[in-house]
Amino acid sequence: MYQAVRDAMSIALAKDDSAVVFGEDVAFGGVFRCTMFGRERVFNTPLTEQGIVGFGVGLALMGHTAIAEIQFADYIFPAFDQLVNEAAKIRYRSGGTYNVGGLTIRTPTMSVGHGGLYHSQSPEGFFMGASGLKVVIPRSPIQAKGLLLGSIRDPNPVIFMEPKILYRSAGLFAVEQVPVDDYELPLGQAEILVPGADLTLLTWGTPVYHSKVELIDLRSILPWDVETVAESVNRTGRLVIVHEAGMTAGVGAEISAEIQKRCFLKLNAPIKRVTGWE
Amino acid sequence: MASWEGEVISTLGKSCDRTSWSTSSGRDTENGCASSWDGPASSSWSTVTAFDFLLVFIMGSSSRQGIRAGRGEQRAQRNSMKAWLNGLAEFFNSVTGGSSLIPTYRVLDGGGNVIPGAELPQIDKAFAHRLYENMQLLPTLDTVLYNVQRQGKISFYYGEEATIIGSAAALEMDDEILGQYREMGVLLWRGFAIDDVMAQCFGNEEDGSGKGRQMPVHFGSPKHHFHTISSPLATQIPQAAGVGYALKRTPDRRSRSIAACYFGEGAASEGDFHAGLMLASTIPSPTLFIARNNGFAISTPSTEQYNGDGIASRGPGYGIDTVRVDGNDVLAVLAAIREARKRCLEQGRAVLVEAMSYRVSHHSTSDDSFAYRPRTEVEDRKKVDNPIMRFRLFMESQGWWNADAETELKARLKEDVMKAFKRAETLKRAELSELFTDVYGGEQPWHLKEQRAELAGLLRKYGSTYEPWRKELAKFKNNGRDLLD
Repeated sequence: MYQAVRDAMSIALAKDDSAVVFGEDVAFGGVFRCTMFGRERVFNTPLTEQGIVGFGVGLALMGHTAIAEIQFADYIFPAFDQLVNEAAKIRYRSGGTYNVGGLTIRTPTMSVGHGGLYHSQSPEGFFMGASGLKVVIPRSPIQAKGLLLGSIRDPNPVIFMEPKILYRSAGLFAVEQVPVDDYELPLGQAEILVPGADLTLLTWGTPVYHSKVELIDLRSILPWDVETVAESVNRTGRLVIVHEAGMTAGVGAEISAEIQKRCFLKLNAPIKRVTGWE
Repeated sequence: MASWEGEVISTLGKSCDRTSWSTSSGRDTENGCASSWDGPASSSWSTVTAFDFLLVFIMGSSSRQGIRAGRGEQRAQRNSMKAWLNGLAEFFNSVTGGSSLIPTYRVLDGGGNVIPGAELPQIDKAFAHRLYENMQLLPTLDTVLYNVQRQGKISFYYGEEATIIGSAAALEMDDEILGQYREMGVLLWRGFAIDDVMAQCFGNEEDGSGKGRQMPVHFGSPKHHFHTISSPLATQIPQAAGVGYALKRTPDRRSRSIAACYFGEGAASEGDFHAGLMLASTIPSPTLFIARNNGFAISTPSTEQYNGDGIASRGPGYGIDTVRVDGNDVLAVLAAIREARKRCLEQGRAVLVEAMSYRVSHHSTSDDSFAYRPRTEVEDRKKVDNPIMRFRLFMESQGWWNADAETELKARLKEDVMKAFKRAETLKRAELSELFTDVYGGEQPWHLKEQRAELAGLLRKYGSTYEPWRKELAKFKNNGRDLLD
């Protein structure tokens, strides 16, 4: 999947002169080093997450395309103010005269099994209450490329969380032939991966690969695709939501509340959440 | 004079005595003056005679170049040899030690006289008039809005005339501004109308800054290259580094435009300050940081905000050219910002200016600062170091101003402000449906559509029958009917 992500960024840089890629250690290694884009467009920053996001907000305010990387989602919290109070609200607070639609924040998320406490978290739920932002989590290389290009070109700031176990995985997970062309996948739309009749299993990211019923990949956390999920649950009558993040006030809680409201008479069982332990 | 490892250069004027500004914990200068900061009404303030009219920039870049060339390592080796020979003690405070403070650049003394030897920035009569009118407009607006606030109509407003107008006048009209709260004067300088000011402060239907969504003084205008103010402090500082970098990458603005970022000395305590200066330094861009040090962050004196030598002392730590200027001396601010701007463009790098002033107003109109500082202190400072008075005396000495002109100007400004104020008061708020717009670009997500529909449903049901809602709806343009369509 890492190649698909790089491919998407290459396309964005090649087609958009204003696009820049930056973050901690991004100029080190990989296809970008000393290649066609140069250090003016692909560069390292000091270790300052709030600075990285603030800098990206500034670029995007000027209409430029800013693709910033936070090295791990676990370290996004110093940038919380810049994301929630600034990036998410600039369009609204300026009456639509300014926006930072050109801003995309990429960050590796979820666990790999040896990351310990601070390289395993799934912080997407913290951003679900920040309208003005979009939050996207791809499940595979093809998805990553299309959704990342969609995020970069979306007229809103997007937090793009990449399940890091999928970067270099083979076998069980995500090996795909990724189209070399430029393509985008829509944000805010879930996808039914395995149709079924008796149960809807809703998840995103890594857990997509662990299920065998009507399986939906939510793909976007904010805004989330209530239509697809409700339609499915109305058919199956049962919903299980799986996410890696903890249960209390997680994304599953929000979705449960909305789905029980919309599908109350069709539900055959209480909505169940399967989540990480807190 | 130099306190920074010999890397101090002067660009204007000749050498003179140091200034006696003390910015921190009451350290004395060699002049024997007590801290002018903690006790501005003390004799030290009124008897200041030693000025520094030298525009001194502390060079941020030479140490950096030295390190690039490997000289940093050599120096470190020499230093370690020295430590072995002379002992460790002298290495402590070898840069920051002693009583030496960063000097403050001034052009006018407290009586509006040009300090002997100081170089006047290039201005003519018409330009001086424009400076002075804009400086006078700020307190005129301040007074009207202050009184309105005391009636509970709007939340807060305040200003710092010489720093704001002097810097505005030194910048080009399309330099990008990222401000905090007090930079309304920059907008006024650029032609933002008094009606626009009032519309934002009242949050009425003409508020082009933010459709009435933000508290007063949160202005913004792409036309005037003034980025919309937000309440969280210091967030604009790293953003300015990004704006500066975008300018550098925009062919028709490269080498022509800079990003100018204002903040107070209190905001400089936020992490965003350090992040912003570091980014502008390591990812070079023409970004000008203007720290307004007025001695107080709301009620907290700067002595409790930092223990070093103000904000300027931090610039060299980030490898940024830095200068401290008297923020109540409009001509000194004008000269310093002109020179700083020039350096930004010539070097393509950030510059830090610290403008020292004393906040004679309250933090905001919801604050009564006499609770934490004596009224006499403020009154004395108003007389001794009033930036408007200083400049007026200078203009009179040039034969550019007199009492009649003063009377005429004050009456005219007051009339203009009152006219705009009365007009703004009668206007309605923006349409109620604007509550749900501008959250996202492109298609509005389902949850916002549903929330909008929910409010519309409630209005259909209760809007015309429930008296409190009926009264509230009457305050909006179209009485909320736009939501029902």
